[in-house]
Amino acid sequence: MSFGRPLSINVGFKTSPPDRGSFPLDHDGECKEQMMQYVDCLRKNSSTSTSCRVMSKQYLECRMTKGLMEHDEWKNLGLANISESTWTSASS
Amino acid sequence: MLSRVMTTKSRPTTPLNGSSRPPPYASRQSVYASRNRNLLMYSSAVIVFAVGVTYAAVPLYRMFCAATGFAGTPNVGTGRFEPTRLVPVEGARRIKVHFNADRAEALPWTFTPQQKFVTVLPGETSLAFYKAKNESPRDIIGIATYNVTPDRIAPYFSKVECFCFEEQKLLAGEEVDMPLLFFIDKDILDDPACRGIDDVVLSYTFFRARRNAQGHLEPDASDKDVQKSLGFGDYEMAPRAEIRNAQPGKSP
Repeated sequence: MSFGRPLSINVGFKTSPPDRGSFPLDHDGECKEQMMQYVDCLRKNSSTSTSCRVMSKQYLECRMTKGLMEHDEWKNLGLANISESTWTSASS
Repeated sequence: MLSRVMTTKSRPTTPLNGSSRPPPYASRQSVYASRNRNLLMYSSAVIVFAVGVTYAAVPLYRMFCAATGFAGTPNVGTGRFEPTRLVPVEGARRIKVHFNADRAEALPWTFTPQQKFVTVLPGETSLAFYKAKNESPRDIIGIATYNVTPDRIAPYFSKVECFCFEEQKLLAGEEVDMPLLFFIDKDILDDPACRGIDDVVLSYTFFRARRNAQGHLEPDASDKDVQKSLGFGDYEMAPRAEIRNAQPGKSP
């Protein structure tokens, strides 16, 4: 990084870069629908992330198909054991 | 003439009684010769070893830095993002991650989180969204820094993908959703210092970007503001090398 260098002594917070870098900006709002579904799901389920993991998987899938994210296996993103069959129960 | 011949010095020959002991003069020379040879062997071995160590020092130091994260070496490729680490720990206590968004005054954007908080399990990757809108009539490049409090959770808070540290150009009047994929490493359950942590605040600050002398984008704000957004506001920092070396009267 060229700014925000951490102190050379280990003092608490280390500003570390993200593993896969930065998401490209979704200028055309191509995945806005999946995003709204995810945020609505969070609102309904008192912001518990586990119940909305299917939505986040759908959002990332939208990003991958629209070319806004590199294709990668689900296990590298931690979403390996989410099956689509739980979608109907989570979306209610 | 005979006397001269008889008094010439010559190397003593082997004694006639057949003993295998070398004559004293020869043994002293050969002892010295063998000692010198030993010394030569040891010295050249030490020299070769020292040269080898200097060659090996560079990769060894790199391995040491990567393993211990000494002097801020980023922990990439050291297994932090292995698929096995990205599995939620069922039944563990949930940690509430609050989202905070700030921006520099010089940046005419509205920057807000889409959700106030998310409760996550350790090891579970979660998605979060921020919304940014460029209110000005010009295209602006912004760059974000982030900060996590409390400090002791920082080694465990990992982001798989986000929107920080890279330029984000927003066209005039454009509104965009910025996602962030993060997780809290499950080793936090083993850390006694983090036992009482139930709330975490993740704070992003957007700055306007400008190019520094190396041509890289960096926040267009004073060093003090940038370090404060990174959580180093309470620490005294030495002036940066570019400013230290600048002549008085010349702008950095």
